[in-house]
Amino acid sequence: MNDTTPHHNSAIKHVTGQSLYINDIEESEQLLHGMVLYSPHAHAIIHSVHVADALQLPGVKAVLSYKDITGLNQMGPVLKDEPCLAKSTVHFIGQAVLLIAAENLDIARHAAKLIRIEYEALEPILDIPTAITKNSRLQPEQTIETGNTSNALQNCRHTLHGDFVTGGQEHWYLETQTAMAIPGEDRELKIFSSTQHPSETQAIAAKVLGINRNEVEVEVRRLGGAFGGKETQANHYAAWAALLATATRRPVKIRLTRDEDQIMTGKRHDFLSNYHVGFDDTGKITALDVKLHANAGAAADLTMPILARAMFHIDNAYFIPNLTVSGNSWKTNLPPNTAFRGFGGPQGMAVIENIVDRIARFLKKDGLEVRKLNLYQPDRNNRTHYGQLITNNCLGVLLEQLVSTSEYWKRRKEVQQFNRENEFVKKGLALTPVKFGISFTTAFLNQAGALINIYQDGTVLINHGGVEMGQGLHTKILKIAASELGIDLQYIKTNATNTTKVPNTSATAASSGTDLNGMAVKAGIEKIKVRLQELAATFFNENKNSMQTKSANVTFADNMVFDTKNRQRQISFQELIQIAYLDRISLSATGFYKTPNIHFDRETGKGEPFHYFATGMSVSEVSIDTLTGKVELLRTDILHDAGKSINEKIDIGQIEGGFIQGVGWITNEELRYDTKGNLLTHSPSTYKIPTISDIPNDFRVSLLKGYPNPNTIKQSKAIGEPPFMHGLSVWMAIKDAVSAVGDHKTEPDLTIPATSETVLRTIDKIREKEQHYLLIASKQAFPQ
Amino acid sequence: MTRVKNNTIQFILDNEIVTIDFVHCSLAPTTTLLTYLRSLPDHKGVKEGCAEGDCGACTVVIAEQKNGTIHYKAVNSCLVFLPMIHGKQVITVENLAHTTTAKGLQLHPVQTALMEADGTQCGYCTPGVVMSLFGLYKNVPAPDRTEVEEYLNGNLCRCTGYQPMINAGASLPANNDDWFTENEEHTLQLIQTINTPQTSITIETSTQSYFQPLTIDEALQAKETHPDAVILSGSTDISLKQTKQFELLQTVIDLSAIDSLQEFTETDTVFTIGAGMALESITKKLQNQLPVFTEMIRLFASKQIRNLATIGGNIASASPINDAIPLLFSLEASVTLTSRSEKRELSVEDFILSYRKTAIQPNELIENIIIPKPKNNCSNRFYKVSKREHVDISSVSAGFSLELEGNLIKKIILAYGGMAATTKRATKTENFLLGSPWDQRNIQQAMLIVKDEFTPLSDVRAGADYRTMVAGNLLMKFYLETIA
Repeated sequence: MNDTTPHHNSAIKHVTGQSLYINDIEESEQLLHGMVLYSPHAHAIIHSVHVADALQLPGVKAVLSYKDITGLNQMGPVLKDEPCLAKSTVHFIGQAVLLIAAENLDIARHAAKLIRIEYEALEPILDIPTAITKNSRLQPEQTIETGNTSNALQNCRHTLHGDFVTGGQEHWYLETQTAMAIPGEDRELKIFSSTQHPSETQAIAAKVLGINRNEVEVEVRRLGGAFGGKETQANHYAAWAALLATATRRPVKIRLTRDEDQIMTGKRHDFLSNYHVGFDDTGKITALDVKLHANAGAAADLTMPILARAMFHIDNAYFIPNLTVSGNSWKTNLPPNTAFRGFGGPQGMAVIENIVDRIARFLKKDGLEVRKLNLYQPDRNNRTHYGQLITNNCLGVLLEQLVSTSEYWKRRKEVQQFNRENEFVKKGLALTPVKFGISFTTAFLNQAGALINIYQDGTVLINHGGVEMGQGLHTKILKIAASELGIDLQYIKTNATNTTKVPNTSATAASSGTDLNGMAVKAGIEKIKVRLQELAATFFNENKNSMQTKSANVTFADNMVFDTKNRQRQISFQELIQIAYLDRISLSATGFYKTPNIHFDRETGKGEPFHYFATGMSVSEVSIDTLTGKVELLRTDILHDAGKSINEKIDIGQIEGGFIQGVGWITNEELRYDTKGNLLTHSPSTYKIPTISDIPNDFRVSLLKGYPNPNTIKQSKAIGEPPFMHGLSVWMAIKDAVSAVGDHKTEPDLTIPATSETVLRTIDKIREKEQHYLLIASKQAFPQ
Repeated sequence: MTRVKNNTIQFILDNEIVTIDFVHCSLAPTTTLLTYLRSLPDHKGVKEGCAEGDCGACTVVIAEQKNGTIHYKAVNSCLVFLPMIHGKQVITVENLAHTTTAKGLQLHPVQTALMEADGTQCGYCTPGVVMSLFGLYKNVPAPDRTEVEEYLNGNLCRCTGYQPMINAGASLPANNDDWFTENEEHTLQLIQTINTPQTSITIETSTQSYFQPLTIDEALQAKETHPDAVILSGSTDISLKQTKQFELLQTVIDLSAIDSLQEFTETDTVFTIGAGMALESITKKLQNQLPVFTEMIRLFASKQIRNLATIGGNIASASPINDAIPLLFSLEASVTLTSRSEKRELSVEDFILSYRKTAIQPNELIENIIIPKPKNNCSNRFYKVSKREHVDISSVSAGFSLELEGNLIKKIILAYGGMAATTKRATKTENFLLGSPWDQRNIQQAMLIVKDEFTPLSDVRAGADYRTMVAGNLLMKFYLETIA
């Protein structure tokens, strides 16, 4: 890695504590604190609401119910199925019923205790099997199909079928949901919101207030993490703060406590799947039939596109000639589940990875052999089940390089040896690939805008629609702008994201932040550059009779603007800007970008929904203590394709961080509910994300070299989500180690997450089946 | 009679003495250090991530004087009530970088290290990480990976995957000098100014009473006058009543200023540990002498918590999922309970009465814990089984001790946490094993007995069947580790 590669552009502010988040913005003395009173029932009828006592309490400035909503009582981002405040029924624990504004939170909490709401509790639906039994469908089943699956399944050599479960996941961004709304003149409102999607936050706030979008300004400097959890669900807090601010004519801030955040917000969808796979003696998959069931929670939120992405990724990196995948969405009485890094991709890919692993065990082959055999090829067997051709496919290269650098085969032998010699500790090793489609699968979302301002001193301010949430978007945008303008980073600044600067933006999501906004910024800069090139040519050509400078030859580099054909003809960027101003040339321009050639027909299930695919592979090795189920992550090697990286430091950071988040999902992050639908794991004392001691003892991450991505900004590739799914190599390694307990004769019935409890239960089942529980042989079996 | 300071506390922040008069300001004596710092214009870098000491975003470093030198320890500011920092220096992320006219902004070495390692993404956990690294820098020269993890596993980060933090920690220099070192003389002077004379503190506001006595006798006296007072010894558990349950603690007796509760003594036969000693200080005393105890502490919460939590406060909670109590059972430890008229010694086993109930009388305090030194032919082990290895609460914990004569079991104690409403010994299993050979057949038999001996609960942390399975398997683990 190049030492001159810039660090995150906020790094100094981060390490000195100077970075401002919404909750750090100077509070007005007039500021009121908002609190959301939510339903304690997963499903109930509201009979009556008594707020009179609370309103009497000194310091309470407003208690609002659905009756006080001046606009539409609706916050659903896709389907209109989420009331802003509950009217007559509640559908999950955490659903907002009332809003309180008070001089401080102690008063608000006191007020909450004085409010009486009479509920009649109804039977809740809390899991997928119950939802299926009760036919609590959110949307009709969708199907994507290629070949003739049922025919192929009948005619293949071997078939296997089974069910598979993947659990949900809490985002656990460090900064909880926060919004501050400040009333202005007339109906104007400025909202500072920790949102990934300022334009939608603006739209929803305007809608519930019944005002126009041009009256609502949403701004965000940075988020303290989001991971999808603030793509749609940040809207709520902004809308609620806006309602309270409008009602009281005072600024209002809502910031959730950690427990409130975990209880009220949606999570990664848990999935159940039923599969039926056919394959030949070599392990080549000939047919696959999968039914996916997603737990939507109480409203649609983004479930449909998430389910679609799970269906698009049911192949992961494998060519399956006959494939039928159907997607089912189920309504339950849990908070509406939402976007989370990978957006359904992990749930789809986990299914096929588990199937491939099972095929390998069935055929007594190494998982790697079966994976290699089924990989999409560069020149044939390279069309997905939805008909998209995989171009610039480097899966084979990734596999070859990683197998070699990770010494997979040597370590496989060592693992086998270790497992022969040890009764109580078992090791496992696995390689898994990742192929992840890049683009919003809703085609119109693939657009972005930017506004570039150059000021008279030659400094540049960049506005774009993307939100900085730690992923280094601004750092990459600055690099793009600096290289386009040929000036140093110190002269360029990115602005807080603001809906008045760039309108109608899409969420910073789907790993698309740099791809879309980078292109928009480039387009805006190009407009100004054309003006400056003409100006510079005119300037160079004044009083010079010899060779004329053509504006097309005017170049920007090293803080200078010059004629490439005649380097003598040059002027500093700053001076040229001065001249431009005096010459009355506009130093401001908007840029716009839309991703070309993407389309998908939901009726036929065919199209090219993705601009390209991001790929990578990882190898993980674990050991498990078969007496407690405890897992130790010994080593992980990741080789990932980021195209031509714009900033290797940022990209490696995304890979490491995404991977560890994936490891959390497949190991210790477990959502537990009681029978009434209360989330029991609603704080960090019970919901365990990885700590520094949970990362691989030996962690090696590298970027694939020599595969620039055509047709993207600086030939780079999106990096936000794909690395999350490298976590699956750890899960497969755990399964391999568990399988070793029964000498790989029994298929372990392991689920996601593989907590130590799940691991030990699975081991226990194998021991029972193999009848060697307690039949313990050796003396030195337990290495320290 | 010590002198009493009424209603005010003093501490050092931003290199100056800050005085807080609780009667004349809106702060309460149980306002947390986090809330206080965030109310100031220049300390908003300190972040709240969970308000329960689990995430570390609010980490600050407390510098205190002991025997004329300054000791730096990272703590969760969300768990610290303001009077607990009386006479100490508070250092936040804003205090590390140093701006001079000559050189401009000078980052502290830990800030540079974290930045150079690309250890920040969203930046929200960063101030806490920086302060934990600062605690590491001031305490461990040239740390190795284990030490870096030990200092940082109380800091949750959801973005980076931690590798950069390991790299940052490993790049810290052996020399731990910085401008805090240069300034220590001045800091010591300020501390002395506050602590001359040393005073106990009594704060009476319209809604709360808060006492911080200097002696056990004063504490007992206060307890006599206020039998309902909450006894605060570390505050890592008690403060959650306020930060999570939003309860008002009306009367608090804070034992943190009583020096005699911090005493550690050792004879040929026993260790005597002051009840007010923080777990981290105990580790320093026992690390070579009683490794089983430091193993328990290693797996106990985080550095920030261990810097606050005391052994007395820990066992007084009598939690059934406590880690220290099963170990103390197996070590046959006892507690000294002291009242104004007498002292009595009670085995830890007798001290624990039932679910969260101890034998402590209203007129008593725990003065110390006495641990007999294990005999040479005795094997002691501590096991903790939890979902996550670090900063998690046990599903099952176990303290085992074994004394063999030849290969015959002369004495065995098998104490479990997480298996019943209190810490409980597996007496049937012990009786079965007693006098028998320490071999695999007997262990396998014992594993079956122990499974019948307990009927644990299923709860948010683990299922009953898992707990039962583990309880048996730990015996096998103990066996395998003691036959080597």
